[in-house]
Parts: sequence; C-alpha cells; structure tokens
Amino acid sequence: MRILAVTRATVVRIARDRGALFFMVLLPVAIIVVIGVTVRGFDQFRVGVVAAADAGPVTRDLVTTLTDDPALRTHVYPDQSTARTALRRSETDAVVVVPATLDRQAAGPGTVTLPILVAPSATNAQAAVAAVESAVADHAGRVQAARFTVAETGGAFDSRLGLAARTAAATPSVSVTQRTVNGQSSYLPLGYSYSTPTMLVLFVFINAVSNGASIVQNRQSGVYSRALAAPVGAGTLVLGETLAYLSLALVQSALIVSVGALAFGVSWGAPAAALALVGVWALVGTGAGLLAGALFRTPEQVHSIGPAVGITLGMLGGCMWPLAIVPAWLRAAGHVVPQSWAVDSWTELLSRHGGLHAVLGYLVILTAYAAGLLLLATLALRRRLASVG
Amino acid sequence: MATPQAAQTIRPQQDAEPLLDCSKLVRRFGSRTAVDGVSLDVAPGETYGLLGPNGAGKTTTIKIVCGLLEADSGTVRVAGLPVRAAPGPAKRLIGYVPQEVALYPDLTVRENLLFFGRLYRLPRRRLERRVEEVLELIDLTARGEDRVDSLSGGMRRRLNIGAGLVHSPTLLVLDEPTVGVDPQSRHAIMESVRRFGDQGMAVIYTTHYMEEAERLCDRVGIIDHGSLIAEGTPRELVALVAEKDQVQLVASGDLTRYAEACRALPEVEGADVDRSDEGTVHAVVRDARSLLPRLLDLAHANRVQIRSVEIVEPDLEAVFLHLTGTALRE
Amino acid sequence: MRPVLAIALKDLRQRLRDRSAWVIVFLAPVVITALMSMAFSGTAAFHAKVAVVDLDHGTAAAGLLQTLRSPQLADTVSVRSYPATEEAAQAVRHGPEQAGIVIPAGFTAAVAGGRPEPVTVLSSVDYPLQAQLANAVATSFVAQVNADRLSVATALTAGALPADLPRLSAQAAELRLPVQARPADASGYALKGVSYFGPSMGMFFVLFTIGFAARGYFSEQRQGTLDRIAAAPLGRGTVLLGKSLATFAYSLAGLATTLTAAHFVFGARYADPLGVAALCVGMSVAVVCLTTLVIVVSRTERQAEQLSSVVVFALVLLGGNFVFASAGPAALRRLALFTPNGWALRGFTDLGTGVSGLAAVRDPLLGIAACSAVVALVAAVLFRLRRTP
Repeated sequence: MRILAVTRATVVRIARDRGALFFMVLLPVAIIVVIGVTVRGFDQFRVGVVAAADAGPVTRDLVTTLTDDPALRTHVYPDQSTARTALRRSETDAVVVVPATLDRQAAGPGTVTLPILVAPSATNAQAAVAAVESAVADHAGRVQAARFTVAETGGAFDSRLGLAARTAAATPSVSVTQRTVNGQSSYLPLGYSYSTPTMLVLFVFINAVSNGASIVQNRQSGVYSRALAAPVGAGTLVLGETLAYLSLALVQSALIVSVGALAFGVSWGAPAAALALVGVWALVGTGAGLLAGALFRTPEQVHSIGPAVGITLGMLGGCMWPLAIVPAWLRAAGHVVPQSWAVDSWTELLSRHGGLHAVLGYLVILTAYAAGLLLLATLALRRRLASVG
Repeated sequence: MATPQAAQTIRPQQDAEPLLDCSKLVRRFGSRTAVDGVSLDVAPGETYGLLGPNGAGKTTTIKIVCGLLEADSGTVRVAGLPVRAAPGPAKRLIGYVPQEVALYPDLTVRENLLFFGRLYRLPRRRLERRVEEVLELIDLTARGEDRVDSLSGGMRRRLNIGAGLVHSPTLLVLDEPTVGVDPQSRHAIMESVRRFGDQGMAVIYTTHYMEEAERLCDRVGIIDHGSLIAEGTPRELVALVAEKDQVQLVASGDLTRYAEACRALPEVEGADVDRSDEGTVHAVVRDARSLLPRLLDLAHANRVQIRSVEIVEPDLEAVFLHLTGTALRE
Repeated sequence: MRPVLAIALKDLRQRLRDRSAWVIVFLAPVVITALMSMAFSGTAAFHAKVAVVDLDHGTAAAGLLQTLRSPQLADTVSVRSYPATEEAAQAVRHGPEQAGIVIPAGFTAAVAGGRPEPVTVLSSVDYPLQAQLANAVATSFVAQVNADRLSVATALTAGALPADLPRLSAQAAELRLPVQARPADASGYALKGVSYFGPSMGMFFVLFTIGFAARGYFSEQRQGTLDRIAAAPLGRGTVLLGKSLATFAYSLAGLATTLTAAHFVFGARYADPLGVAALCVGMSVAVVCLTTLVIVVSRTERQAEQLSSVVVFALVLLGGNFVFASAGPAALRRLALFTPNGWALRGFTDLGTGVSGLAAVRDPLLGIAACSAVVALVAAVLFRLRRTP
C-alpha cells in the first residue's frame, strides 16, 4: 500500500492549498456563468429602437410589434446618439429610428420612411434589416388597412388603426411556417449547456497540468530521492502520483458536473456515456499533469506556462468557440488536440442525445490519448527519477 | 587572495573618535524586546565581534546599525553621522553583508557587483575599476561572466562579501558570514576579514563561533537576550574567569585520599573525584603550570599512578558559560 | 535617478532571462491572437444559401423570387431552385443549402382572395440566422398580400358594404405598404474580431505578469537582496519606483508586441495609432498599481502568487477579455467598467470602429486612471496600516 501512501501525500498537499480550491471550482464556475450568460440569444437579431417617449398610438404599435417579434431581441434606446454608439460597438445589429412625425404622417397620404441604421459592412447587417423589415411590414399592413378604411368609411385614423389590429387577429392571413429539417445540431446548446461542458474540458485539463507543479517540487526538494532510498520503486511513485491526479481530476469533474446540473440546469445526456467521458477525460488530464511534472524544471514554469498551454489547446479544441464555425483546415488541426474529441463527445451527448454507442469511437480515441500521455509521462519521470537517484 | 594595494597595517585606534557609535539601542517586536539597551562603539581599523547564540539580538542590532530597522530608542552614528536623521551620507560609509547569500542567482557575478555598485551612485569609470578590484580581492576574476547559480557555495559566500565592498565602505558589517560554510571557505573568509581590519576598515562581525571571534576580533561584545553582557578584548574577557585553571588527572589508586591531599594545598580551590569513566581527579587551581610538579609529587606520595594530565585553560566558551550559564553551541 | 534605472534594468534583465516570461508576455498572446483571427476569419461575412421551391408558378411566386434575387440581398443570399420540397429539404439537411423557402401551389390565387396556403421555410438548427433571414424575406413578401387582405376585412368590419367586395379588393391590390424601412449606414466601420481579441489577449497575459512581479519581490525579500538594496543610501521611493518602472516597461512591451502583431500580421484595424498607444500606456500603469497592491496585501510568495491569480481572473472575467463584451447583456457591460481592462477594451472597441482622437480614448483613459487611483490608494492605506502595528 505504498502506492496509496504516495497518492495520499500528494492529494493532501494539493487539497490543503486554499488557492487550489479557487482554481478547481470557483474560477471554472465563474467563467461558466460569464460565458453562459453571454453565449445565448444567437438565434435572434439584436435590434435597437429609438422612439420619442411621448409618441402616439402608431409609434407605440410599431414599438410593440418590434418588441414582440420572436426573431428580434429589442432594446429601446433613449436617444439616437446612444443607439448609434451601441450599434458601432456591435452591442446591437441594427437600430430602427422611429421618426417623430410617424403618428402625424401615418394617416397619410404618402409613404413614411423608417430608417434602419446598420454598421457599414457588418457581417449580418442585411439579414438583420430583412428581419426588421418583416416586422415593420406587419405594422405597415395595419396602417394601410386603417388608411383604407378611413378612406372608404370615414372615422378617425387612430380608432381605425385599433380596429385593424383587432381585425388582423381574426382574419386568416397567408402565413409563413417553419419546418426544421435537421434537428441534429453540430453545436452544443446555447447558454450554460454550452459553457459548462466546454469549461469542464478546459479546466480539468488546465488544473491537472498546474498540479504538475507539485511533482516538480518533489523532484527539486529531494522528496523523491528520499522515497527511492526507501524500498520504493520508481514505478510505485509514478503509479501513486497517477492515482492522486486522477482522483483530484475526478473530484473536480464531479463538482463541475453537479454545479452544472443543480445550479444551471445542464442535462448531461446518457449517464453511462457521460460517466465514461468524465472518467476518460480525467485520465487525459492526469497524463498531461504527470507529463508537465516530468518535463518542467521549476514549479513557477508550470504555473505560468501551464495555463497558457491549456488555454491554447482549449481554443484549438473548441472549448472557446464551436469548431463548426472555423475554417475546415483549422478544424482538422484542432482535432490533433484531445480537447476537440471531448467537446465533440459532449456535443453528441447534449445536442443529439446519443448514447454510449454514439460516443464509443470518441472514447476510444480519448483513451488512446490518455494512454499515450501516461506512457510518455511515465518514461520521462522514470528517467528523471533515475537521474535523481 | 591577491594582496590589495597599499596594504599598510593599521592597528585599531582605540582612543580615536569611534567610527561606529551605538548608544542605548532598544527595539521591540510586539511584546518581545529583541534589543535592550545595547551600546557599543567600533574604532577605525578595529574588528569588533558581536558574539551570542541564535536569537540573542545580533541580527536586529546589525539591521539597526545599517538603517534597515528603526530603533525604538537610542542612536547610531557612523563617523559622527546619525543613521536615522541623515541616512544617505551614513549609509554610504557602510558595507552590509547579510547573513544569507543575498545575490541574484540568475545574474552573472559581474552584473551583481555592478548592480550593487550602481545603488551607491559610483561614477561609471570608478565603478568598473572597483568591480575589477573586488573580483580580484575575492578571487573570482575568472568567473566574472558566470551566473551566480553556477558558483559553488564558497564562491557565493565570497561574492556575498564582495558585493558589500564595491563602494569602498569604511565600516564593513558582516552578519554571520561563515554560517554553513565549509572549513576551507571559512578560512578564506576569516583571512579576508582580518585583512580588511589591517587595511584600516572598521569591521563589525556577528558570529556564534567562539574560535572565530577569538582569532579575528580586536574586541568582542557578548550579547544575550538583547543585552550586551560583557565587552572587551578576548584576553580581557577570558580574564574574567582566567585566574582559575582546571586540571584533570586520570589516575588509579586511592583517589579520595589524593583529592583530600590536593585540597590541602593553598593554591587549590577545589578537587573532586569523578569515577564515572576511569578514575579522574578534577582540580580547580590558580596557575596550573607552576603547581603541576607539586601535584605530581603529591600523587607519588599517596601511591597514586598518574596516567595522564590535562590542563584546561579558559576560553571564550568558558567565559560564555560563566556569564550566561548556558553553552553557546547546541 | 541612476539607482532607479539600475533597479529597473536589473529587474528587466532578470525577467528577460526567464524563458517562461517570454512565453507569457510575448509568445502566448500572439499565438492566441493568431488562433482567434484564424478562427473568426471563416465567419467574416454572413451569408445564407437558400433553396427555393416554386410549386405555384404564378406571378406572386415570381415576385418573391425576384425579391430574393434583388441586388439589395445579392451579397447576403445565394438562391438555388429545387423542383420539389423533399429535394430542397435534403439539400438543407446535408448541405449545401442552409435554409429553404417553399412557395405553395395556389399562392398567387390567395392574393386574389382564395384560401391562403402557408409559405414554408425549411430550417436547420445549425443555421438559425439563415433560417431567420429566409423567414424574414418570405414574411416581408407575404406581408403585402396580408395587408391587402386586412385592408378589405377592416373596411368591411367598419361598415363597408359586402356588395362592394370586388371593388374593395381591386382597390386594395393597388395599395403599397405606407411604412417602408430603409437601411442606412451608420458612421464608422465594423469591429473585426481580431481588433478586439488581440488587445484583449495581450492584456490578459500582461495582467498575468502581476504574479511574476509580486513573486519576484518576495523572492528578493527571501534571498536578502531587498535588505541589501535597503542598506544603500537610497530614498524611500527609489526601490518602488525602480521596480514599478520595470513592470511598466515590461507590460508596455508585451502589449505593444501583441498589438503590433495584431495590426500588421492579423489585420486588426484601429482609427488612431496614438489612441492605441495611450491605452497601452494607461493599461501598463494599471498593471503597476495592481502589482503594488498584491505585494502590499500578501505576506509570502505563495500568497502573492495566489492573490494575483484571483485578481487577474476576476478582472479578465468582468472586463470582457474572455468573451466579446458587446455580445453580452448590458449588466455585464456595466460591470466591465469597474475594471481597467474593461475600460481599455471599450477604448479598443471604439478605436476599432472608426472613432479617433480624444473621443475614443478620453473616457477609457479616465476610467483606467480612476481604477488605478483606487487601487493605489488602497495599497497606500494598507501599507500604512501594516507599518504601524
């Protein structure tokens, strides 16, 4: 049980470190929250509206139409310059400037022009304009009907507008229906269901690599030499450390998975598959951590370079943005790092509701990564330990 | 080590204006009084040893002298300049060599020396010349471009002292420069300290090694629990306990009667038998050397066979024991 | 002045001799900026590939096709005709199309008053915006039809005689929607991803160096060199000034490297190079103040390392370095303005969208100055408290 003695020593040392708690749980959860609240609403165009506060019923009808349109996320700005600034900073995709004269002009005759400001050469400007146009057309239809009715039967424009609105609710119209032909998403769901699995992948790895510092410390301080002087083989040491890192990674994963499920309502998909994935990913992290512990010279190096490497690999592997949006060659390059396979697996589980069989291929690949990393780390550590002894 | 130029020998000028003058220094840390009314002075060219066990207040005193700590009360003057009120001019005269190897391991030997020299605003030419002199003095000229972390422990210790010499101080303050140093380097360090004194530099030197203080220092102050409990030349200090020598006679025969006979002599203050090992008679006497033939005669007369005789003369160790009641090295 | 420079140069020399420092400040941000610019280059232009199925073959359907192929949408939409609904659905499901519009048989007849058949939009979950666009175009088109139908219905409800229906219908068909949206370009230019994430990553890694500097201070304390410096005849502020100068220079060099690379290699665009320089200088000052605070608060090397990690991650999370702040909710954007890096990123956003001169950098610089002043003040107060036990 000398292996467990090594394991215990490492786990206790790392767990006793208050900073470790921050990196293990608090930081990942904080990032999950920030990314979770940011990565949502991508299925809507963000539209700003500028309208006079004391405007009449026509303006109110238009603003309500825009606000209620399911394709738009509408924000009302107090004045044009604020709205223009927001538009320039990409805080909104388009700004509808409702002319102060709308209520006066609505009764006709003539056409009212409604300017929609878009950022020049903004990538989705035209699409946002089209979405706004469709919402405006809805409103314009009622204005047209009100004018027509005033012309035909007399009466006040405003009351006719109200009548048109009521009639519209009762009259069958040519509708546009949506039919989803492809429910198999290649993206993770948005919101927390996006941020939690990706950050699980990112942080288990980064944390394991950072923990490699304790191995470097042991190497430096001669703890290993002392252990090797006792009748403990290098293999025992490596195995003990492996167990320690694995259990730390598993604990961290369990914490993030529970926080995700309990606090953010993430549904983790088929339990067996999710469990296998968490386990295999913890092993990959363990391998990386041991390798870091074998390769770096000082603990400071591990602490400073480790996170940078982890973040870079995470970016390559699709933890920061979906690999589906990057150019094909970069997507291919991304699949050199294990993170991409883990994120693919989570996508399979969360978005396509696949079971164990669906991610089996990914799990095999990840296991191969874990085995490769562990093997490399063991060889490197044995060599280091031999030179220490 | 190379001989510095103008190595004329200046002996301490005890009566001259002291270079370092500490008066009634007190420093508390919370409820603990680390330094409690220490007054001492060091003359130009004098090597002063501050001797005491760990935690006695040596390092605190040194730090106050160098202006690193402020005293709660008391004054420190270097060449008449108050360290507290005029730290700039006073500090310029002091070369401080901390206890630990206070060097940048990732910089080279020369870079370290240049850096510490620049802090004293030495003109560039003079600084460069001084660095070469110091390198020669500490015998590291050949290693100038090597990083400190590639040096051996002894070399680092020498460089540690060298870094305090770049600005040609008149008062060199060494805090335990020989702790954890191998005997050879220790010898070299002590050798150079002796030479600094010979060059006219005043040296204040803390240590808990008795033999170092005895060999090197013109004057020694013994500090314990923050107070200076004795001060003087090593000879003067030894004299505090010096009238008495101890004679140990390993012998066989009727030792009790022999000891009794010894006690009868007026020069013998006490004699006792220790049967723990072989039979040994301990006698505390005045002037053991002149008394010894009579002790031997007495043994003969009592049919006691003397197998060995040892005369233990008092040293600083004994002085310390005498003054504080505890041994210094434990 | 010379001792200040000596201390600064010594610190810099030590930093630059440390290979991990190079990785963190110069290499990592450039690599990650490169990754980001590559990842987002594929999404530079929003484009929708739309399949169209015309089952109506009437004049109304032709009108819709014409709208889709209008020059206004030419850059945004490419249209391809399919003979049958299922073929189009297949093309949307497996590519190359991203959305589809099916015009039903009898669409034209509905305009003349027949029973309305819905227009179907085929969508894929992976292209929600494209589906929205197809939906918007279809809706805009049917809007005129619906408006005409509504006009007649409202008039009838208001009391027009049912006998007049044919005349009313004919008149309504002549009408055009009285409120027309018209897109207009706002000033400035669109924000490129790299213009935001380049400086954002540069700042992240420069903030990382707070840990280096703070640890460096405590290791100097431990190895005794700090005492040695204090023994030299230097003014009180000299050491602080020298060390701050080194941190400042180092931070500035890191930011300058990242921004130079972002601009010249990866195509980041800013309206005003002087503004960029000013923000870099401001941010470097903030890093100096933060470093001082970490040193004052911490008591050991380990504490300094952990505290700086917590500070850095809190700042970059709040400030918007990990996510595109503009895409997030307004509350997140307001929180960002409590951090110097959040202000700097706002400045870079403005500079990256064509604002130049003081208009772009005045508020950010004031914001950074305020944050720095608060940090410096807290550090000074804590320092005084610590000195007098």
